[in-house]
Order: sequence, then C-alpha cells, then structure tokens
Amino acid sequence: MLSNKKSWTVDSELDGIDLTPEDFNCSVPLKKVPTGDIFSASRAGDVERVEYLIETGVNVNERDKWDSVALYYACLAGHLDVARMLLENGAICSEHTFDGDRCHYSALNLKVRKLLKAFEARPPPLLPLQSSLRDTFLSCRANQLHLEQHLVQPLGPSQSDGSNHSYFPPDVVFFVHGRPIEAHRIILSARSPFFKKNFETIWRDRREVRLAREKLSYPALYSLFHFFYSDRLEIAVDDMEDLVRICKVCKCEELQRVLEKELVHQRYADYKALRDIDNSQKRFILQGQSLPENDRLPAALHQILQTSLAKSNLKQDVGSGVDALISGIETIQLIEYETDLADVCIRVGERIFRCHQVILASRSEYFKARLSRMTNFLEGKDGLPGNTLPVLQEHDLSTEALEKMIEYMYTDCLKDIDPDQAEEMFDAASRYLLFPLKRAVADVLLPQLEMVSPAELCHWLTLSELYGILKIREYCLDLIACNFETFADTREFRAMLLTLPPPSGDSSLRTTLPSAPGAGLNTDQGNLLDDLREKWLEAEAAELDKRDESAALFDKRLEMLMTIAERECTDDDLDGV
Amino acid sequence: MSTPKKRNFQIEAFKHRVVVDPKYAEKTWKILEHAIREIYNHNASGLSFEELYRNAYNMVLHKFGDKLYTGLVTTMTMHLKEISKTIEAAQGGLFLEELNRKWEDHNKALQMIRDILMYMDRTFIPSTHKTPVHDLGLHLWRDNIIHSKKIQTRLLNTLLELVQRERTGEVINRGLMRNITKMLMDLGSSVYQEDFEKLFLEVSANFYSVESQQFIESCDCGDYLKKAERRLNEEVDRVSHYLDAKSLTKITNVVEKEMIANHMLRLVHMENSGLVKMLVDDKYEDLGRMYTLFRRVPDGLSTIRDVMTSHIRETGKQLVTDPERLKDPVDFVQRLLDEKDKHDKIISSAFNNDKTFQNGLNSAFEFFINLNPRSPEFISLFVDDKLRKGLKGVSEEDVEVVLDKVMMLFRYLQEKDVFEKYYKQHLAKRLLSGKTVSDDAERSLIVKLKTECGYQFTSKLEGMFTDMKTSHDTMQGFYASQGGETTADTPTLAVQVLTTGSWPTQSSSTCNLPAEIMGVCEKFRAYYLGTHTGRRLSWQTNMGSADLKATFGKAQKHELNVSTYQMCVLMLFNNADRLSYKEIEQATEIPSSDLKRCLQSLACVKGRNVLRKEPMSKDIGENDAFYFNDKFTSKFYKVKIGTVVAQKESEPEKLETRQRVEEDRKPQIEAAIVRIMKSRRVLDHNNIVAEVTKQLQSRFLPNPVVIKKRIESLIEREFLERDKVDRKTYRYLA
Repeated sequence: MLSNKKSWTVDSELDGIDLTPEDFNCSVPLKKVPTGDIFSASRAGDVERVEYLIETGVNVNERDKWDSVALYYACLAGHLDVARMLLENGAICSEHTFDGDRCHYSALNLKVRKLLKAFEARPPPLLPLQSSLRDTFLSCRANQLHLEQHLVQPLGPSQSDGSNHSYFPPDVVFFVHGRPIEAHRIILSARSPFFKKNFETIWRDRREVRLAREKLSYPALYSLFHFFYSDRLEIAVDDMEDLVRICKVCKCEELQRVLEKELVHQRYADYKALRDIDNSQKRFILQGQSLPENDRLPAALHQILQTSLAKSNLKQDVGSGVDALISGIETIQLIEYETDLADVCIRVGERIFRCHQVILASRSEYFKARLSRMTNFLEGKDGLPGNTLPVLQEHDLSTEALEKMIEYMYTDCLKDIDPDQAEEMFDAASRYLLFPLKRAVADVLLPQLEMVSPAELCHWLTLSELYGILKIREYCLDLIACNFETFADTREFRAMLLTLPPPSGDSSLRTTLPSAPGAGLNTDQGNLLDDLREKWLEAEAAELDKRDESAALFDKRLEMLMTIAERECTDDDLDGV
Repeated sequence: MSTPKKRNFQIEAFKHRVVVDPKYAEKTWKILEHAIREIYNHNASGLSFEELYRNAYNMVLHKFGDKLYTGLVTTMTMHLKEISKTIEAAQGGLFLEELNRKWEDHNKALQMIRDILMYMDRTFIPSTHKTPVHDLGLHLWRDNIIHSKKIQTRLLNTLLELVQRERTGEVINRGLMRNITKMLMDLGSSVYQEDFEKLFLEVSANFYSVESQQFIESCDCGDYLKKAERRLNEEVDRVSHYLDAKSLTKITNVVEKEMIANHMLRLVHMENSGLVKMLVDDKYEDLGRMYTLFRRVPDGLSTIRDVMTSHIRETGKQLVTDPERLKDPVDFVQRLLDEKDKHDKIISSAFNNDKTFQNGLNSAFEFFINLNPRSPEFISLFVDDKLRKGLKGVSEEDVEVVLDKVMMLFRYLQEKDVFEKYYKQHLAKRLLSGKTVSDDAERSLIVKLKTECGYQFTSKLEGMFTDMKTSHDTMQGFYASQGGETTADTPTLAVQVLTTGSWPTQSSSTCNLPAEIMGVCEKFRAYYLGTHTGRRLSWQTNMGSADLKATFGKAQKHELNVSTYQMCVLMLFNNADRLSYKEIEQATEIPSSDLKRCLQSLACVKGRNVLRKEPMSKDIGENDAFYFNDKFTSKFYKVKIGTVVAQKESEPEKLETRQRVEEDRKPQIEAAIVRIMKSRRVLDHNNIVAEVTKQLQSRFLPNPVVIKKRIESLIEREFLERDKVDRKTYRYLA
C-alpha cells in the first residue's frame, strides 16, 4: 500500500515529461468568453481574454465566490497556455499555500504539474538594486530587441509595463558582429577590470565600440552584461564555453571559476545522458549569491562609491577656496575623470558628492526626471566655475542623510543608522521616490523602538502615518492597543488624538475580507483610529457577539480622552499667554 | 532621558517650517502656479526643478494634495482657455499650424509639469483614484481645445476640406495632417472616431457617391474600373500617410460600397463594354481588375460569376443547337474545346484561378453539352478522327494534351454509357481496319477512361485490344502450321478472332465467300478449333476487308483495297464480264441493303468505278446490270474503294444505337436497385430513385420512369415486394 501511494506522489514521474513549445499552443480554446471574468476565461482557456484582463490590471490571485483562484481553473481544465500566463503574471502556485496546493492536486495531467513545479522553482525576485539596474539595461532599445527575439524564458511582470519609464540613455554601444548591445560605462567598469582599463584609455572618447573577434559570441556577451547589471546569469549551455573565454578576457575570475566548474558538470551529464532524447535548449542560471560577496554587484558599486566619495572629499577642500585655485581644479578634474567616471555632482550645502547618473536614474525616478530635464530648467548652472560636471543642488537635506541615501542607492544596504536620522531618512526616501529605502530604514529602526517611551512611540506613529511606513505603524498600533490604558494616561497620546482625523465609525469596514495573498502593497491606509480600534478589540474585547458593545465602549473612551486633550490644550495656551 | 528630548525638539523643528505658517499651502501653491505659468510661457529655464519638486512634495506630504490637484486643474484649464483663444484667432490656413504648434508646446509643458508633480503622481493620485497628471493634461486639452465650440467644427471642417482638396488633385501638407490626426488619436481613440473619423467617412461616402455617378454616366466599364481602382489606392495611401491604421478598412469599405457595390449590376451589364463584352474580347486586364475590385464587396464575385456562367451557357447553347454545326462533328467538338480553352485562360489569368469560377464554368459546360443528345457520339467521333489521322506526326505530349481535353469534355457528359457505345464502335472499326495511328494514344485514352469511370467501363475496350493481340499470335501459329505452303495463288488470310460480347457486332449476316477464300477459311477453322476446343467460330463478313490485285485494259495493274463484300462481288467478275444485280445477289447472298451500298461504291463513285453500270444512274436498281470497267485508270497503284458509309450515323442507325443503349441500361439500373435494397432492406420509392440516380450518375442519368419500370419488373421477379400498408414503400426479399 505504502509503496503504491508513494508512486503516486513522488515527483520522479514528472522527470520524464518535457514541456515543449507545442504544448502551449496545442490547446485549442473550447470557447470564447468575450465578457467573462478571469475565472470563466481561465476555465474556458480563452487566452486572449485572460491576456486582456491581466492587462486591465485584474488581480490574478483573486478568489471567486467558491474561494477558487483563476489558476486553479486553468490547471483543472488543463489549459497550459493560460496557466503559464497566469503564473508569469504572479499567480501563486507554491505547494505550501492553500491556493497553490489546490492547483497542484487538481492539475489535469502531469504536464500541468510540471509547469507548476517549474514556476515554483523559479528564482526568488531580485533585490531592489539589481532589479532596477536590470530594468535599465533591458529598457535600452537594442537590448530589449534581443530579449524579445531570443528569450523564451518567462519575463518578470516588471518588463511589460516598465519598459518606458525605466529607460535611461546608454553611454556606450558595443557592436558584436554588427549586433548592438547598449550599456553604461560605470556598470561595466565596476564589474570588470578589463572594461575599466579600456574605458580609461582607448575607449575613452568613443560612444561606439565595434568588436569583431571571430570567437566572440553575441549571446554570451549579452548574458555577461546582463549579469553585470542584475547579478543573475542566464545563459544557454551551448554558449557557456564562449562565456568562459570572455570572462578570462574581462578578468571576472570568480565567475569564470564557477562557470568552468559547471562546464565540467555539464560534460559529465552529457556523457551520462543520451543527447538525442532531450534536445531542448538547456539554460544555466546563476544567482549572485553563489559568488563571494566581493564579486557581487553591491560590493562592486560600493567600491565605485568609495572612490567617488574620496574624490568628493578632496573636492570639498578645493571648493572652499574656489576662486583661488581654478587652474588646480582643472588638473584634478582630469585625474578624477580617469578614476571614478563620475558624471554628475550632487551638492548639499557646501558639500559636493560625485555620482553616476545611471545609478541615480535607475534607483530614483526623481533623479531620472531631473537629469533628463536639465536643459529645460535652471539646473547645473550654479556649479563651480570650470567644473565640467553638472551639479544638482539639493536643499532641506543634511549631508549625512544624503550620504546614507547615496550609499543605499549604490549598495542596497544601510549601515548604522542613528534613530535620530531615521526621520530625515524617511523624508528623503519619500521625496526621492526611493520606496524600498523606507523599508530598510524601518528594519533598522524597529529593534530600537522596543525601549522607547509611550510619548515617543506616539511620535513614531505620527511619522509612520505621514510617510506611510506600514511596518512601524503596525508595530506602534499593536503596542498601543495592548497597553491602551498606559497610553491613555500619556499626555502626548491625547494630544495626538486631536491631530488625527476622527474615526469613521463605519463598522462595515471591520469585517475584514480575506485579503488575497500577493495582492501587492495596499497603499490605501485606513483611518488610523479605526485601525487602532480593531487592534484594541482584538486584544481586549469580549466575545464575538458582544463586539459591537465593546466597540461602542472604546469610542466613548476615545471621546473622553479627546475632551481631556482639548482642555489641556487650552490650558497650555493660557499658560503660554 | 536626554535623548528623547532632543528628538522631540528635532520633530518640532521639522514640522515647524510647514505647519507653523497657516498660509503655507497658499504660498507654496502660488510658487507652483507661477512655475506652471512660466513653463507654458517657455520661461522654465529660470526655474529650479529641485525647488519646485520639493514644494510639491511637501504639499502632498502635509495633506494638501487635494489643493495641489485642484489647483493644477484650474491653472491648466485657464491656460488652455487662453491657448484656445489664440488658436481661434489664427487666420485661415494658419489655423492647423497654430493648433499643431500649441499641441506640441502643451505636450512639452505637460511632461515638465508631470515631472515636477511626480510625487503626487506616484502617491496621492493612485490612493485617491484620480486621473494621473499626463492623462489629466490630455483630457483638459480635449475638453478645452478640441471640444471648444469654435474650434471643434472648424478643425473638422479644415481637415475634411484638406482631404477634399487632396482628392481633387491638390498637394497638401501631409506632415501637418499626420500630426493633427496623431493628436486626435493620442487623446483617445474615441476622440479620433467621434470628432473626425465618423464625419470623414460620411463626407467620403457623399463624395464618392457623386463621383461614381459622374463616372458611370461618362465612362465605359473598363475606364470606370480603372478610376475606381485608382481611388481605392489613393485612400489606402492616405491612411498609411496620415490616418489611423484602423481607419483603413472603414474608408475602403466606403469606397467599395459607393464605387462598386452600388453600381455593380450596371457595370456588369453595361452595353458594349460590360462583362460579356470583355469576355468575348478576352480583356484579361479589365477582367482582372473587375475581379479584384468586386472581390472586395459582398456578392461581387457571385455577380460576375452568374453573368459569366449565363453568358457561357447562352453561347454554348447556340453552338450545340446550331444545325450548321451538326454537320461536322469534328469541328463541333473542336469549337467546344476552343470555347473551354478561352474561358480557362480567362479564369487563370484574370480571375485568380478562383475555384468557384471554375465550378461555374464546368456547370455551364455540363448544362449545354447535354442539351444536344448527340454530344457523346460527336465526342467519340472527334476522338476517332484524331486517332485515325489527326495525331499523325504529333509529339506524345501534344497527344496527351488533346486527350486530356477530350476527357474534360467527357466529364461533362451525363450519358457516359452512350459515349461508351459509340466509342466501342469506332474503336472496333479502327482496330479492324488497322487505322489506328498510335497504339499508345489508344491505350492512354483507355487508361484515362478507366481512372475516370472505373474498371467496368473499360473492361470490354481492353478485351478488344487483347483480342487483336491474340489474333496476331494465332495467325502466326496458323501460318507456321501450314509450313510455308502458301503460294502466290492462294489468298493470304488474316483473321481476327473477336470475343463475343466485347465487340459491337451487328446481326451477323453471312455471305457466300468465293471458293478460293472458302478454302483458306476452312483450313484456318480447322487449325483454330484444333488448338482451342469447345469454341465456335462464325465469320463476320461485314467487318472484313481485302486487298485485290486486278489487271485492267492496257495491262494496267492496280491493287484494290476493298471490303469483304466488295471482294465477293469483284471476284465474281473473274469469270464473267457482265452480271445482273439479281445474279450477283444470288451468288453472294449479301443482304440487299449492304449489296446496294457496296455496288454503289464500286460503280458510281468517280475515279473509283472499277465496275460499269447499266443504266448509268446514281442509285442501284434491282434490274441493273454491271460490267467490268476495262477503262478504269488511276494515278496510284493502290486504290482504296471505300464503302459508302455515312461517317455520322443515319437516322435509323441512331435509333438503333439508342435502343441498344436503353437496353443496356436496364440491367444496370436493376443491379443498382438490388444493391441499394440489399443494404437498406426497406425504402420508399422516392428515395430509391434518388439513390439509383446518385449511383449511376457517373455513367448516365437514369430516367425515373425507367427506374419505376425496373422496380416493377423486379417485383414481378420477386426480388422486391410492396409494403402491405404503405404502397409507396418497397421491401427487399431473398
């Protein structure tokens, strides 16, 4: 019995099954459902309708009145093409989730299960730095073209909508046997000593580099560049040897080592397997994590940043005595160009930071707009005389905060944040549209909130409400709800109540719908006091049927607190007078 | 305790700059409003992006997003209203250019404004479900400029007027047109459709309706089609240059409807230049144009097809019913073939080899060929003619071509069995008289017939060929057995042993052969029956031929090629110079009609008159007397004396053939009925008739009356019975 059951569930069954491209177009739609929702369209296998619905922004993980997701229907009916489209657009299929598990056991045939497995095993999404640089790389027209033509690999959803506004003009184009790859000098220099040297010397003034070496393969170089930007290598096994050669030239030693090791494996696998059976193009995928930390993108950019900062510091010294040393600047300028490749300066107060446009633009839409608008507005004209680099002047920001922010933009990591700085960092993150930074700051801040006073917690709650930092907000609300009476005794809390919009009192909001997993960040924040009441009810309230009464009690308590606060306020004013 | 205090202080400081000043929002908005104005006035280079962005950011952060948004809407609306005034003020032709310039300005400004307000665009707008800045700009442009009363109609009229001018041959600024239509499309496809496309199509419809009316009054069909085609191409060109690609089908539909669909019948039936005229004159180019244009409209092709088919039917009918044509079967068939070739060529070169047209052509041919009951005979005669002499010295491929064409006509025949009958007769004659030009051609035709109609159809024809071959072998065997005994005196005999049934034998009317011949014949009979037991030989004297050596006066020697009957008659003159008709009849016992015909050919044909007749009349009388014509002369050594045989059948013969065909059909119909009933067991009358007709269609169209008779006959013979309740239903017995 046991062994019998095992053969049912064990995945070895799936090994023999290959998903060929034909599998995805063989399923003839049984019918068209031109007005159907995502569920009926998935059930009918109407690819066009599903595509349309996804384009209109329907939530692929939504459940219908039978608590089923669209992917479930597609798997049940065996529509591989629809299932794949849903998966590519972020449908959840992990076996550990309710929806995913249902998809797995209801799959019509083994091919569907294989597809689900394939997507389950998909590499985790890229980190913000890698993903934004990757978008920049892929949005260059030539690169996009290659991707569309040659990659069957499912693309991340960011590709479909982000192509336009993640575009930042490349500053160098490589032609390999006439086919272009567009790139940015700084990224290549950061990742490869070979490119760094060449950009400093023979390619310094060239916007186009033609490579015509016989053995140089376009796909391999493309993959390498893609790796430089994203820390993720995707390459056809057949191109791997070419890539090893390129790595050798480019002095990417660690990558070369990994690849060579993998090649040995491949050879052995080829020897074992009969090649004829599996003629699908095998691809090798390498995550940045498999390289030592020093060879990853953040480290490389960190190094670039360090040199730039060093130069910036030098600059600052010069800046103070600007009028006297014009000729001196020019000579320094020349040397600097060769070492840090900076192409823009950010100036805060008296301090100047040498930076790289492509990184700023990739990370922050604000900088992208600003850099592309330089000719339209009054920008870069208040730079130092003789300075060839454009200068972006920023106000209302401390140099420390800017430094931290730049560090984050280059390396995706944030070290030793002073809680005092956190508020300013939140402000900077919002202002420069660096939303991941908020989370990073919050993560650093959170452990330190454990021992702050109730008054301070109120302050942080106000801040998190202002900047929309859900994590902190949640934490504060929980804490307040659990120790409500302590807070009620705190003056700052009562004062805060006055600044908040009154609770909506709408009890219909309370019946929390099961929020679909993966529905994305819900940016609409609810009313703070409503949320607080919910939390409080959860922590303190009576049985379910008495809940409304408890809620009414809480509302009364709040009203009371507010009248106290008002009185205190007028007292203060009187005191002040 | 000291740290929190410090922090609190910081918070105060941070908030101060915003909240302390109650007029903060107002002030900041003034700055931004000023900036927007400057951007519209092309003065942005004096503005600091960073400062503006920061101000907008702070406004949104401190919950003044609503104010910022409504402020933006009002300011932009105000500016657009001003712009609309300047556009309205633009004179005449400058109007579009001004509009285009302002549109470009607006777009540029809009992008800059969007970038300044980016924070609002990213956070405030999605969470409050408002229209994003860029879309807002487009909507406002639409509402304030494009839909402003003074501009809307003027823009539309200007655009339409430009199109109209281009249609009348003027050159217009297409780039400008493209920019403007692009603007309409950018504003949303509904704007383009509502504000331009709809009326554009209406105006175009009017234009083309008027123009087509003019053209059709003044041009003939060919010219009209040329003009229509040019107009159509112009519109396609227009769409590709400055309209939305989605308009392509719409505008071409309009042109098609107005220029073609509405005048289709009139064009096709136009006198002296319509479709019929084109067909007659083989105007491939015009026909091709008509085809491509008509294909675009519903029912267009069927209109052409119907007219073409009825035209072919009409001409074909004239051809097959013309009594003049019936005189010469070969010419008749040749004309049919020519007609077919002509239309095939038209279909292939002008009608794109359209299947439906080919079908129409075929059905038309089928229709008129079967109008003439003699078509099967004529086609067979045509083949006969070709195989006797027509194909001499023609290459094999050409032979195939001719045969294929014949087969094509054959396919149109409904009464294929009649053709078979005639073909058999003609083939027999060819084989027996050795007149076939090419054995290969004969066989190839039979193979074709076989693939067309099946094994059954040709088995007898093939039997005839086998007979010819075995006869040849038999004769060799015969002479070998005689051991070279034949001398110059004894006549040489060539016998073809024909299997009964395979050959179209007529009622065998024997005659008395001359004694010399009789001797040889008996020897052969003895030989043949000796080698093949259980057979019966009978002589078909009416189908044989003979070569005679004759010496005339002045020792002129000739070889006469005659039929067996003629040979019998002439042999009589070896012993007598004068013989009366009665004497001849007595001696030979040839049936009188045959004898008369044979004597006629011997005595009455000029240049072939080896006999002399008293009296010298054209017809043979019972009392005539015949003399050996000593004075016969001929330039040739060999003289062929043909029998006076009508190539075509005479009326009684025709009737006879017809009867035989009908007789042959009876068993076939019965077989079909039995086959059907065997599988169906029970079937009603109408269905039987339908099924039988279907089964036999490949050979002939059976007459329902005949089928009924056959059913009755089968009932008599107890193959079928009528249902006891429903008399119309039959039941299969046995």
